[in-house]
Amino acid sequence: MTSVVGTVVADAFRQEWGRITAALIHQTGDWDLAEECAQEAFTQALRRWPRDGVPNRPGAWLMTVARNGAIDRLRRSSTYRAKVEELAVMATRETETDNPEPGADDSGVPDERLRLIFTCCHPALAMETRIALTLRTLTGLSTAEIARAFLVPEATMAKRLVRAKRKIAHARIPYRVPSASALPQRVPGVLAVLYLVFNEGYSASAGDDLIRRDLCDRAVALTQVLAELLPEEPEAKGLLALMLFHRARQAARVNDRGDLVTLEDQDRTRWDQAQIELARRHLEDALVARQPGQYQIQAAIAGCHVAAPTAQATDWPRIARLYQHLADMTGSPVVELNRAVAVAMADGPAAGLALLQRLEADGALAGYYLLPATRADFLRRLGRNTEAATAYQEAAALAGTGPERRFLNARLAEVRSRHT
Amino acid sequence: MRYMLIHTVDPDLAPSSPEEQRDAWDLFSSWVDELDAAGGGLHGSRLRPPEDATTVKIRDGKLIVTDGPYAETKEQIGGYDVLECAGLDEAVRWASKHPHARMGSVEVRAFPAGAPAGPLPEPGAGKIRYMMLVCTDPAVDPGVFDHMEPVDPWVAETDSRGIRVFGSELEPPGAARTVRVRQDRAIVTDGPFAETKEQIAGFDLLDCADLDEAIEIAARHPMARGGILEVRPLWPH
Repeated sequence: MTSVVGTVVADAFRQEWGRITAALIHQTGDWDLAEECAQEAFTQALRRWPRDGVPNRPGAWLMTVARNGAIDRLRRSSTYRAKVEELAVMATRETETDNPEPGADDSGVPDERLRLIFTCCHPALAMETRIALTLRTLTGLSTAEIARAFLVPEATMAKRLVRAKRKIAHARIPYRVPSASALPQRVPGVLAVLYLVFNEGYSASAGDDLIRRDLCDRAVALTQVLAELLPEEPEAKGLLALMLFHRARQAARVNDRGDLVTLEDQDRTRWDQAQIELARRHLEDALVARQPGQYQIQAAIAGCHVAAPTAQATDWPRIARLYQHLADMTGSPVVELNRAVAVAMADGPAAGLALLQRLEADGALAGYYLLPATRADFLRRLGRNTEAATAYQEAAALAGTGPERRFLNARLAEVRSRHT
Repeated sequence: MRYMLIHTVDPDLAPSSPEEQRDAWDLFSSWVDELDAAGGGLHGSRLRPPEDATTVKIRDGKLIVTDGPYAETKEQIGGYDVLECAGLDEAVRWASKHPHARMGSVEVRAFPAGAPAGPLPEPGAGKIRYMMLVCTDPAVDPGVFDHMEPVDPWVAETDSRGIRVFGSELEPPGAARTVRVRQDRAIVTDGPFAETKEQIAGFDLLDCADLDEAIEIAARHPMARGGILEVRPLWPH
């Protein structure tokens, strides 16, 4: 097989997997059957396209093969006769249509992915389950790949997916997009899943690879789909903007040795301006709705950072104000921590320290390495080197990944070499 | 007098081999036969496992839906029965003969006087039946109870819509008796099957089209704010 066909199939897989499984789950109600038939369709593509040529409408070809496979399998089971007829009727209807429905791909099938993503992200499923199910059914990542990404044994991940489908069936979690009245409540849950996937890819929680591009890209792609299918939800665009602002800086985040490069030290010429521009446009679109939300604010903060031509030119007072809004909205101690960092940049480290003391008294961030790391940074900037050293040690002990720990140890060495 | 038997399973004692499962089933069958002959059994059912449960609560005006049962206990609730007995001792005797007493525990809880009776209809077309456990949560701000609505409007509405099939408050957990049979010896203790902070205060059986409807109904119950509700599907025969 030529590598060109291989690439075409791989691209089609990325584009179409989610659409196909979503459509088949909707039509058959059988999640395992949907996955198996989708998989089979791609296997057939790998076999037949090199021989017969790539079809004009790869999506339609794959959907047809997948659906026929499902019909075949269901035909053998007498209890599904009604379903088979339904499928056959749908197939006839589609081949006759010249005007595909809005959101339909080249196969003419309406985009069922919205149903699928809301079901995968249902609040009655545990967060780790929502993530696993979303990745498996919407991005086509294999169980083994998802297990590797989240550092659990494959058997554990496989069991998690089996349990998820069982709960959906037993507890009767409905396969649908929530009603208009319920939707606002359910969207944050979906966005939280997508953001978790992105963050998992963006900053690994253990190990030496700081960036896992594939997870980031999948999260971005899904958020893009969500933003398109839910044009009335500004937070979806806000999240997309946020992810793009982050990902635009990917090339500059880690140096050649695999060490973390802080925002202020990053080579800004390595930032992807096309992504930044795209992010800005999504954020502007979102803000038009005048429904502020946490992802829109976070995107605005990220936008402030990338708007500065140099670190020194960063509009810290504006960032501090945005963090204040975010803190008011979410009550999150992590947001308060970030606000302390911004205040320290705007008004000096002593001001930041004062805010940190309040946070530390709270105890909400105990065990979170960025709290002592931030304290260490403020103390270092104030020349209080002995205290800074203690704080860096504390932070390094709590820090997870290799690059983050290396960075803190480097700072530790630096303050130790000075004299207070 | 009416009693609720809450059946639990200790995973270490659950029947694992086919022989053990058959024995448990035989024991259960004869228990049901004996109960039918005595005329004391009203209704009962197995419940799906805790992994199929969903917890519903409202805090600070926000609906919080989570995966899992109202509390993580070693012995896990697996079913229930409602019996009509002369008194607590008779209910405890029935509990001690149930297979769950051997593979976990059976908690016996009285219905308050005047609890409703009636055979249960099967769920309607397209509906499934959920057990909604109504539980107390000591972490709830006591101030919530000052403004808590009475439960009667919720009961009346769900009854009239054919959603609520059966339900009742139960006597407090302190008045419960829990029965375990180990090495053929019945051990009866005062109190509920687990000393969790959250405790079962009552239950309702709800017929709903799907989990979203069940969650929506549960969220309207006053104890969504004042406690915790667990929604779990029954295990159909």
